[in-house]
Amino acid sequence: MLAAAGLALATGLREGHEVFLLGVGTAALFALLGGLALRWSAAVAVGVALLGGQQCLRLALGSDELDDWTPAIAATLLLVAELAWWSLEPRVRTWAEPGSAARRLATVVLSCAGGSFVAALVLIAAGTHIGGGVFLELAGVAAAAAALALVAWVARTRVG
Amino acid sequence: MTRSATAKLGAYAALAGAGLLAALVLGRPEVAALAAPFAVLLVAGLSPARPPEVHAKLELDAERQVEGETVTAYLEVHAITAVERLELLLDLPEGIETTAPNPQLLSLHAGERRELEYELRCAHWGAYLLGQVILRAQDRFALLVYEQTLDLSRPLKVYPRGEALHRLLRPFETQAFAGSQPPRTRGDGIEFADLRPFVPGDRVRRVNWRATARRGEPWVNETHPERSTDVVIFLDTFAEARTGATGTLDLAVEAAASLASHYIAEKDRVGLVAFGGVLNWLTVSTGVTQLYRVLDSLLDAEIFLSYAWKDIDILPSRTLPPHALVIALSPLLDERSVGALADLRARGFDLAVVEISPVPFVRPGGGELDDLAHRLWLLRRDALRSSYLQLGVPVVEWRHGMPLQAALEEVRTFRRHARVTRV
Repeated sequence: MLAAAGLALATGLREGHEVFLLGVGTAALFALLGGLALRWSAAVAVGVALLGGQQCLRLALGSDELDDWTPAIAATLLLVAELAWWSLEPRVRTWAEPGSAARRLATVVLSCAGGSFVAALVLIAAGTHIGGGVFLELAGVAAAAAALALVAWVARTRVG
Repeated sequence: MTRSATAKLGAYAALAGAGLLAALVLGRPEVAALAAPFAVLLVAGLSPARPPEVHAKLELDAERQVEGETVTAYLEVHAITAVERLELLLDLPEGIETTAPNPQLLSLHAGERRELEYELRCAHWGAYLLGQVILRAQDRFALLVYEQTLDLSRPLKVYPRGEALHRLLRPFETQAFAGSQPPRTRGDGIEFADLRPFVPGDRVRRVNWRATARRGEPWVNETHPERSTDVVIFLDTFAEARTGATGTLDLAVEAAASLASHYIAEKDRVGLVAFGGVLNWLTVSTGVTQLYRVLDSLLDAEIFLSYAWKDIDILPSRTLPPHALVIALSPLLDERSVGALADLRARGFDLAVVEISPVPFVRPGGGELDDLAHRLWLLRRDALRSSYLQLGVPVVEWRHGMPLQAALEEVRTFRRHARVTRV
């Protein structure tokens, strides 16, 4: 919750449209708080989505320049989501081996670091001047669709 | 192992997809960068996902135990593949408790064996099957859940502890077999009975020299022979009154176990008749084997709902030997058992009824009418007891928390003053 509050507040106070962005951020925090209190994963998902939506709005309403803080924001967003779902896991009174929580925390931190790295790679790729054009736009759309399809395929084959 | 997706997997897929679409709509690569970690985590988490393979073996250090004692269970877990987070639950039936950590969260490497020790407390008597082990594993990123239930059933019999009895009820008649009870008749034995004048044929070793010197003529000792007795425990399993974990059948089984173990310890022959929806009987016998037979039969005692009318005629004649003492343990709730007991008395059996009182298990309703009904019910029970007493059958009320010895002493007092009648 602290990470989410920090992200929402920092985004809201960073530039113009403070009231609007703070409103979205507050809604995200309430959704997260409700989801954690009621142990309702859908509300947590909505909270994380609203935090991401706040970033989208900030970017859409802000300048056209690439935002250098995006990798850090992406890592924080992933950290918020990971910690929130960790909190939602069934609270069975379980005797755990010493160090299992530390291993889990290390996995979360490494995931966030990896996520930040991937976000930075995306930004570097976006900042590289290749020359625009319809074909490049189409390639971008195809890449996004392929990424979605890959995620869906992996989820289907591994889960189903 | 059955595999299922967690809510997290669906949410991350939705967030990644929504982010990528929003990046396309808004034309901002930063939004794709925000969504990319979720997509990458999904791919990283799902790509190497393989169902974990875990084997387990369960051993108990004893198959029989007495209520209140402990049994140690050893659960060996063998991981064929590495499992990052394995939640392991030894599913214990009601009546068996453990202070060991259960469930446990383990992390196992490929090929690792781990032995877990569970100290199990046998809280309640019964025949149990232990060994349902529930395994629940998650992948490193908690996207998938694998569940498996292993059936490693091991039988465990927990016998009722019973209570110590200092003095048992004795039948009016003994049997012809050797035992430790002095009968009314006189014969070769150790127990002194009386003195009488010497008659030709008496053995010299029987001469009481002091009495002979005092009276001036030879007198001999008379003794009682040592004989065994037959005791049949009549367990009423037609109906019971129950509140929570305790009921009249539980109390009856505990009393029956106490009586059987004490009578067999005194070399008497003990039989069992479980008279109810399902009929179960053991002919009289003695020894440790018979004790275990009786205890095993008691563990199987259950209330089976039945509307079929049953009377004592359906019992094989060998289950109720002549001159046997029949100790009935009954809540006196069912007309069939009430009638069967009266029938036994009418056939001349030496009968004593220990009424396992259902009254503590019954709460009168709140209203005046309910209170009246409850009082009427209590009056009817009193009338039933009176009718047994008129037949010469001692009926004592025994409740939870009251020593069984007190109930037996009450029966003994009745039998001392009551006259044996043939109806």
